[in-house]
Amino acid sequence: MKPARFDYVRAESIAHAVEVLADAGGDGKVLAGGQSLMPMMNFRLVKPSVLVDINHIAELDRIEHRGDRLHVGALVRHRMTAEDALVVRHIPVLHHAMKHVAHLTVRNRGTFCGSVCHADPAAEMPMMTVLLDGTIHTASPRGSRALPARDFFVGSLVTALEPDEMATSIEIAVPAEGSGWGFEEFARRHGDYALAAIAVLMERRDGQARNVRVAMMGVGDTPLRLLDVEAALEGREVTRAALDEAIEALKMSIDPNSDLNASSDYRRHLAAVLARRALGDAWSRTRQTSVEIAA
Amino acid sequence: MSAIDASVEMRPKLVGQRIKRTEDPRLLTGSGRYVDDIAPAGLLHLAVMRSDHPHARIRAINVGEAFAIPGVVAIFDAGDIKGDFRSAVPTSRMKGYYATPIRPLAEGKVRYVGEPMIAVVAESRYAAEDALEHISVDYEPLPFAIRQVDAVADDAPLLHDEAGTNVIIAREFARGDVEKVLADAAVVVKGRFRMTRKTPMPMEGRSYLAEWDRRRQALTLHSSTNIPGIIRDVLSGCLDLPGNRMRVVAPDVGGSFGGKGSLNHEEMLVCVLARKLERPVKFVADRMEDLTAMSQAFDELIEAELAVDADGRLLGLKADVIGDIGAYSIYPWTGALEPVQVVSFLPGPYRIEHYRGRVRGVLTPKPPTGPYRGVGRPSSTFAMERLIEMAARKLGMDPVEIRRRNLVRAEEFPYRTGSGIIWDRSAFQECLEGACDLADYPALLRARDAARAEGRWVGIGLASYAELTGIGSRIAVAPGMPINTGTETSTIRIDATGAVTAAFGISSHGQGLETTLAQVVADELGCRMEDVEIQHGDSALVPMGTGTYASRSAVLGGGAATKTARVVKAKVLKAAAYLMAVPIEDLVAEGGVIRASSSNATMTFKELAHAVYAQMGRIPHDQREDLVASETYDPYLGTACSSTHLAMVEIDPGTYGVTVTRFVVAEDCGRIINPLIVDGQVHGAVAQGIGAALLEEVVHDADGQLLTASLADYLVPVATNVPDIGIVHIEAELPNNIGGFRGMGEGGTIGAPAAIANAVSDALSHLGVEVDTLPVTPERIFRMVEDARTIRKA
Repeated sequence: MKPARFDYVRAESIAHAVEVLADAGGDGKVLAGGQSLMPMMNFRLVKPSVLVDINHIAELDRIEHRGDRLHVGALVRHRMTAEDALVVRHIPVLHHAMKHVAHLTVRNRGTFCGSVCHADPAAEMPMMTVLLDGTIHTASPRGSRALPARDFFVGSLVTALEPDEMATSIEIAVPAEGSGWGFEEFARRHGDYALAAIAVLMERRDGQARNVRVAMMGVGDTPLRLLDVEAALEGREVTRAALDEAIEALKMSIDPNSDLNASSDYRRHLAAVLARRALGDAWSRTRQTSVEIAA
Repeated sequence: MSAIDASVEMRPKLVGQRIKRTEDPRLLTGSGRYVDDIAPAGLLHLAVMRSDHPHARIRAINVGEAFAIPGVVAIFDAGDIKGDFRSAVPTSRMKGYYATPIRPLAEGKVRYVGEPMIAVVAESRYAAEDALEHISVDYEPLPFAIRQVDAVADDAPLLHDEAGTNVIIAREFARGDVEKVLADAAVVVKGRFRMTRKTPMPMEGRSYLAEWDRRRQALTLHSSTNIPGIIRDVLSGCLDLPGNRMRVVAPDVGGSFGGKGSLNHEEMLVCVLARKLERPVKFVADRMEDLTAMSQAFDELIEAELAVDADGRLLGLKADVIGDIGAYSIYPWTGALEPVQVVSFLPGPYRIEHYRGRVRGVLTPKPPTGPYRGVGRPSSTFAMERLIEMAARKLGMDPVEIRRRNLVRAEEFPYRTGSGIIWDRSAFQECLEGACDLADYPALLRARDAARAEGRWVGIGLASYAELTGIGSRIAVAPGMPINTGTETSTIRIDATGAVTAAFGISSHGQGLETTLAQVVADELGCRMEDVEIQHGDSALVPMGTGTYASRSAVLGGGAATKTARVVKAKVLKAAAYLMAVPIEDLVAEGGVIRASSSNATMTFKELAHAVYAQMGRIPHDQREDLVASETYDPYLGTACSSTHLAMVEIDPGTYGVTVTRFVVAEDCGRIINPLIVDGQVHGAVAQGIGAALLEEVVHDADGQLLTASLADYLVPVATNVPDIGIVHIEAELPNNIGGFRGMGEGGTIGAPAAIANAVSDALSHLGVEVDTLPVTPERIFRMVEDARTIRKA
């Protein structure tokens, strides 16, 4: 379990990193936290000719609040995201989701952007990026671009990133004041890759659910946004009957795989159980908006 | 028990104290020395090309550009080393048994995915692994039966043609007329129980370093083994080297759980290659290699039936077991070790007159099964304890009460089971009561019922068992095995500085034996514990020793230590009596000081040793004796170690995740040398048992490929899976061996899976579901619940 031979370059800047990636002709890999990359290299599942270490690029290690969006730099560790004051206060669903990301030692090194670029279908941050209307900002020799999360995840461990392109930051939406959230995950052991997980955001106006967003993982090759489930609840009071309809919609919209830990049937069952809990939690966590209180 | 003399009883003893492990400072501060820490000059590293077919003929091997990799020194296949060793043969006196020869590299064909096939030796492991990528093998795939139920069929493809069958082991134990009892009984319960395959998973991978001394024509193997003596003896034959030129040293070893307790291919291989190349050769298994090719465990299918009368008395038990032993019979234990123990121990600690247990051990294209903490009994206890609770449920009887009525009672010992095991007196009944008391069983039942009233799925399960430990020479640890596992030797010497060195043939690999044996030796000699160094894990220490396995080291090692220390102490007192000019009866040794009760005269061990060894003429030459002795202990019979485990679980009715909320162990391990260490052994073994019950399963798919080749897929318990474990020690009557010790290192793995299986079944009792397969995963619970609901609807 030793990696194949590779070169190592410590990138001085984003431009430098992109240049090295381009020179590698598709064989380069970006090293940020290394929590997924290193094991894969040791298993020789990936054999990059060059490892581009971005850990010394200064501007990538921060979270910035711009308008109603948070910009998470490519070197921001999971731990830093989880404990960020803005995240704790304004995006509790992300703060909560972080507790499920592996273990503390992994969260100390692993990065939000790295997890998203790795695109494991059973990892939390890709799903949270979908939930929070994320945009992945990238750099390549052709300049920079902004990829919406819905276009970013192509398949299991496959993204829309070009071989010579790296993520520089990910911006996510700060949910509206008074939003309710729900998060449910089930894994064989705490910190393992999830058999299934779901994250929910919604607002409540006039006693009705508004701006419902539902994302799920572990039930497909990519994190999924469940538009039919959202539609089943949008503009309605979240009653038991409404939840039943949402769950029916959920069952229709997923076609989970069978693997070692869970059959397709069990995953579908699990998805429904988790969804019912998370949707209910989100509804009960919503706060009436001031308009409604005034009325 | 007369062996414990009154003078020892009088003074404050180290045996029985919660003394911190003396091993820990070095291990916890990174000063331990494992095989991989040893790097002699000129060291070469070995990487192994393994089969990726479950059964195939090797047509051709092409090394391609492998030699072009800088640092690659040599590449060998089986043909290249054919004349360099003799195969190890795991013989046995069992009838109808076929001993599969064990060779370092697969010869002609491969028989499981992961079997070593080609050796690459290089200046670094990196280079060796780079070379592997260039080597290709042309296979001719051969037919195979991957499941044990298929492999036993008469027309199943043969794995070893020479054997003429896949069923290389068949045994039967019988007493009474079980068929009649089953036909007549008020209640019969039956099940088809499956304890799936596990891997032992020690923290340290298997590690071997062989050094050839050209000057002495001698080989030293540093091995992460727990049986250095056995390995020395077998390799001496395989390599044609006498024991004084073939030495096996086990330095610090990071756990075994059985996985390092057999002869391994790579262990032979480094020896062959080091002698051939005349350079040190090291192999360190990585996690994937250990998951793929370390000896595995269990994998039995147990069809069992239990007859019970209307009062809950157990009448008869019948079982047919197929053990999937993998592709080879392992050395020295043979493939019989695990499955035969299942039928030997199936009747458990209960009074059952009629018994018939049949077992077949069948070859399949998987890694060989071998020792695993608990051996056989985790499976047998799982099946038996499930049947007991199924019977209790059918009778409407409390699971504690049915056990109370059937556990062998104090006045019935020694009790001979239907399979012929003799239980000496141990606290069978007392452990059941002890576990219920500690857990407050009535309160637990109330808590369970209150939770159920809220719609929660909560269950309680018990498991009672007994194991035979500290086995002497009357029976081999594995059936029919022709090596002696019944004795242990200790050599103790007090040197010229007064320091005490006690050497053993055992091999501690996490049990804390350096601490516990020092307690025993210091107590017996009357010296200070810090004056005693315990040496172990080296075949050169004693003429013959086998190692640490089968819950034997406290009993046999402790017994040998006691016997030897008494001889040395007699010499100490004799010399002291002469030097202090007092009668020997007046002398007491305590804390390293010899005191005369009749005067104020004292003498330290150091002063005494100086007088004996360094001061010519202090003792007349014809009376002077070295302060050394070597004695061997053979307890002849084994002794029962008994226990009851009690588990409470809660199942999430949606996700089917299982949480163990309470766990209690009551156990009788006789005289406790060090309660701190005993508690640690129980904690660790229960955690391992929780893994077996809920998480761990080695999975080979229909193509014979391993699906659980990393720790992301083979799930071991972590801290969040293990609750606080309550332990109560019960010391009923001391066994009839020197120290009054019973072996206890394995027990937790035996009781925990069964207790949890029962608790899960109890939590699902409203659905009429009975757990018959471990681990009971969320997926399996999902299927059981779905099936139950389908049946209910129909």
